[in-house]
Amino acid sequence: MADIAAAQTSPARTRWLGWIGPELAVVAAGLAAALLFPDDLGFITRINILGIFTLSLALVIGQAGIGTLGQAAMFGAGSYSAALWALHVSAEPLSGLLIGALAGAGVAAASGLLLLRTRGLTLIMLSVAFAQVLLEIANKAASVTGGDDGLADIPVRAILGLFAFDFRGRVGFGYTLVMLVIVYFCLRRLVASPFGLTCRGIKADQLRMRAVGAPVFRHLVVVYTLGGAFAGIAGALSAQTTQVVGLSSLGFELSAEGLVMLSIGGVGHLAGALLGVPTFMIIRHVAAAVNPYHWLLVIGVLLIVTILFLPQGLYGLLHKWRTRLRRGPR
Amino acid sequence: MKLVKHLAAVAGAVLLAANVAAAEPVKVGIIAPFSGPFSNFGEAWKAAIEAYQKIHGKSAGGQEIELIFRDLTGPNPSEAKALAQELVIKDKVQYLGGVVFTPNAFAIAPVVEEAKIPTVIFNAATSSVLEKSKYLVRTSYTLPQITVPIARFALEQEVKSVVTMVTDYGPGVDAETAFVKTFEAGGGKIVEKVRVPLKTTDFAPFLQRVKGLAPQAVFIFFPGGPPSYAVIKAYKDNDLKGAGIRLFGTSEADEKDLPAIGDAALRLESGMFYSGSHESAANKAFVDALKAVAPTAVANATALEGYDGIAAIYRMVEATKGQRDPEAAMAAMRGYAWESPRGPVRIDPESRHIIQNVYIRKVEKDASGKLIQKEFKTYEQQPDYGRADAK
Amino acid sequence: MTLFASIMIDGIAYAMILFMITVGLSIALGLMHVVNMAHGAFAMLGGFAAVTLMHRAGWCFEFAVPAAVLFTALASLPIERYLISRVYRRPELDQALLTIGVAFVAIALVNLWLGASFSAIELPPWLSGPIDLGFRSFPRHRLAVILLGFLVSAALWVFIERSRFGIRLRAAVDNAGIAQAVGINTTLLYSSAFAIGAGLAALGGIAGAELLPMEANYPVKYLVLFLAVVAVGGQGTLFGTFLAAILLGVVDTAAKYLLPDIASISFYLTMLVVLAVRPQGLFGRKEAA
Repeated sequence: MADIAAAQTSPARTRWLGWIGPELAVVAAGLAAALLFPDDLGFITRINILGIFTLSLALVIGQAGIGTLGQAAMFGAGSYSAALWALHVSAEPLSGLLIGALAGAGVAAASGLLLLRTRGLTLIMLSVAFAQVLLEIANKAASVTGGDDGLADIPVRAILGLFAFDFRGRVGFGYTLVMLVIVYFCLRRLVASPFGLTCRGIKADQLRMRAVGAPVFRHLVVVYTLGGAFAGIAGALSAQTTQVVGLSSLGFELSAEGLVMLSIGGVGHLAGALLGVPTFMIIRHVAAAVNPYHWLLVIGVLLIVTILFLPQGLYGLLHKWRTRLRRGPR
Repeated sequence: MKLVKHLAAVAGAVLLAANVAAAEPVKVGIIAPFSGPFSNFGEAWKAAIEAYQKIHGKSAGGQEIELIFRDLTGPNPSEAKALAQELVIKDKVQYLGGVVFTPNAFAIAPVVEEAKIPTVIFNAATSSVLEKSKYLVRTSYTLPQITVPIARFALEQEVKSVVTMVTDYGPGVDAETAFVKTFEAGGGKIVEKVRVPLKTTDFAPFLQRVKGLAPQAVFIFFPGGPPSYAVIKAYKDNDLKGAGIRLFGTSEADEKDLPAIGDAALRLESGMFYSGSHESAANKAFVDALKAVAPTAVANATALEGYDGIAAIYRMVEATKGQRDPEAAMAAMRGYAWESPRGPVRIDPESRHIIQNVYIRKVEKDASGKLIQKEFKTYEQQPDYGRADAK
Repeated sequence: MTLFASIMIDGIAYAMILFMITVGLSIALGLMHVVNMAHGAFAMLGGFAAVTLMHRAGWCFEFAVPAAVLFTALASLPIERYLISRVYRRPELDQALLTIGVAFVAIALVNLWLGASFSAIELPPWLSGPIDLGFRSFPRHRLAVILLGFLVSAALWVFIERSRFGIRLRAAVDNAGIAQAVGINTTLLYSSAFAIGAGLAALGGIAGAELLPMEANYPVKYLVLFLAVVAVGGQGTLFGTFLAAILLGVVDTAAKYLLPDIASISFYLTMLVVLAVRPQGLFGRKEAA
């Protein structure tokens, strides 16, 4: 009897840890990286930004099963809108973030209404087509977007008037790390909620979900829009921290890279994004520096090995080890 | 006591001397594509730099030069900026070099300006790049710089009507604008301005359109590689030559691509700042050194960009005796004149852009039957016409 | 009239190349339900094999091309058996990722082997130069491609509709489980179909080398193009792929002739429109939700 009572009212400490433990882990990892590699803050900032982008993919693909290769459309929308906002309206960064999120959400909602009626290869192709069309439009509207040259010298004022962006990238790093933690927190809450449960149900079997009366299409649109908002935030952060935006932010390569990073980390779990992004980026950084020709080979082999032998990605591997450790020798 | 003091002084002096003597090598960061579709740039530049070092050694002004290469596969402003920051902050380079694409150049300009790193642009050919930082200098070319002479040549050849056909992106539009302005100012008529999407692989429709418009000549600009090869083949296959339409180009029939294009390129006229067959002692030294360090490398404009780019960096290291002195380095570049394999060149003190000859050449077969670009007319010391104040 | 003929001939030539390259992809999708993102690598392999045989081994075009096609078909067999078959029953995403990995490896290997320089396939004299059809002269090569495309389509149609292999193929596409139950060796079938598709891609790659030049980045660069044809046509249907190739090829070419400004978007817009109206493609089967 006593142990049941104990199980139901776990001590406040472990409850609290369960609540924000993972986020603290991310903060700790980020700070450790910054302290160990103080000259690489730009690189770590990029990891943070792509972490947010890949988290948006983890939501859309991993939780709701929407197979998309066009997520860059939302990232680019966020990038360009935040840049244009900073150039023409206000260089205040937090409002730029909001604009980026809205742009990403808008693009996702608009395209989702069409895309989400389809599945499989059709869905993939439509997502790609949409992103390509957006890219061509951005290219043509060169007077606004800078076309092929992109936008440069994007102004960005101090965050909350206090933290001015510095050359070494310390403020940029902190800014993106805070946003990463906030996004991760929101997504974890979302995934654990009934909404998230419905998403996973839809991913598992759409027909059955429809049979039990779940509003599948509406649900998918909402998830896709949310994913778009987060991707837009990532894009806005990219524009603000690097102060440049180019057409590559809308490109197919970015979407494909996000997918690759997510799958290496583990598609089905949000933490997969946070594992896959640093792994991919660091491997690329190291392999490219050693021999620029070989890193594609390394990534290709890594992908093949992951899909064939580690379907749950790095997350699955770590989970297996942790369970084995917990269980102890048998 | 006095002995100890003396010993200490001597020890201190020795240490000081040792410190000064064991000077760190001067680090130079080169940002270029070494993988992906544009890796021909990175490869060519690396080979050309090695060729230069074969002739001039690995030191300048007594200071050893250490090169750090970083791969940037294509136009990617955020990554360009990240690489530049890493080279400056982490690797502590004194100079930067390279950069193929204009967006990447724009992206690194703020880094270069804030950290005061003299940077030699090996390629990025848009005029306004140099305005973004006073530590940028360019040793390559701009599209207007080579296009204006081509337009003048066309006028001199009594060509009255031209269709322009360029790739629809920054450099292409620059080339078109410069050509049109010069040609029309000289009394010529631009029948139509055709812009071809960057991803195009099938040029037949565009060339058929040109054929239908029946101008006396078509002026083209396409980046090297598959697009150039395809457009020249299409020119031949659609029999524009038979229809009496001359073709004026820039670097489309590059020496590297000529073997693949084959006889279809014969007698094609173009304007460019360098041809592998240029006859001069400086060029012979370059070509021979290149062949020695990289037998498969081709002496073309791309390779030359690397050669002259590193030459500029060597000059700056010499002038500053290997010490970090951005102002002195830039002062050494302003007005610096030398004999490049392409011909006599000079860095304009105002614009920090290279002033050079532009040659009109024709594709011919040399004595051994190899296809080459043969120069037959020179427009001397052309400035960057893309600048607002150029005439 | 001349303009119309120009658009049709150039458009159909482009379409035939797209068809030859993508028909294997469509069949693989319909038969094994596998999204093969590396399919373009077979077209590339065919092209590079032909170039190597001609330039380094000195073979003539007429022998090099069939040899390259055969080589690619054979080379595809171990890839199918040992790599791709392992994801037949896996979700589309896993298949896409595995095959993207294969594509990356292919690109890296070609990059290491040949560097980034593109290789041109020298056409023999009877295929190069213009041919005058009276109202306009056309590149001989382009007309040959159209002829080849029709021949291949016809041969495939006969093969699939009339031969025993074809019957087994169609059976397996319709219902693999029952096909196996009645004794059809689906493993052998899959491998053969895959190899045929790879060989055809190689042929298309060689034939299309003028329009889609050989380069190390080929599989990824044109991936979207190939997938678009299959998506628009519908998976696993010969006729669908054929029609989709014609539609997209002609629309793209017409845009280049008539409205060069929007030529780049026209392709994707067409795909968007078709898929919006008929998500399963022109001749695809509507799948149960």
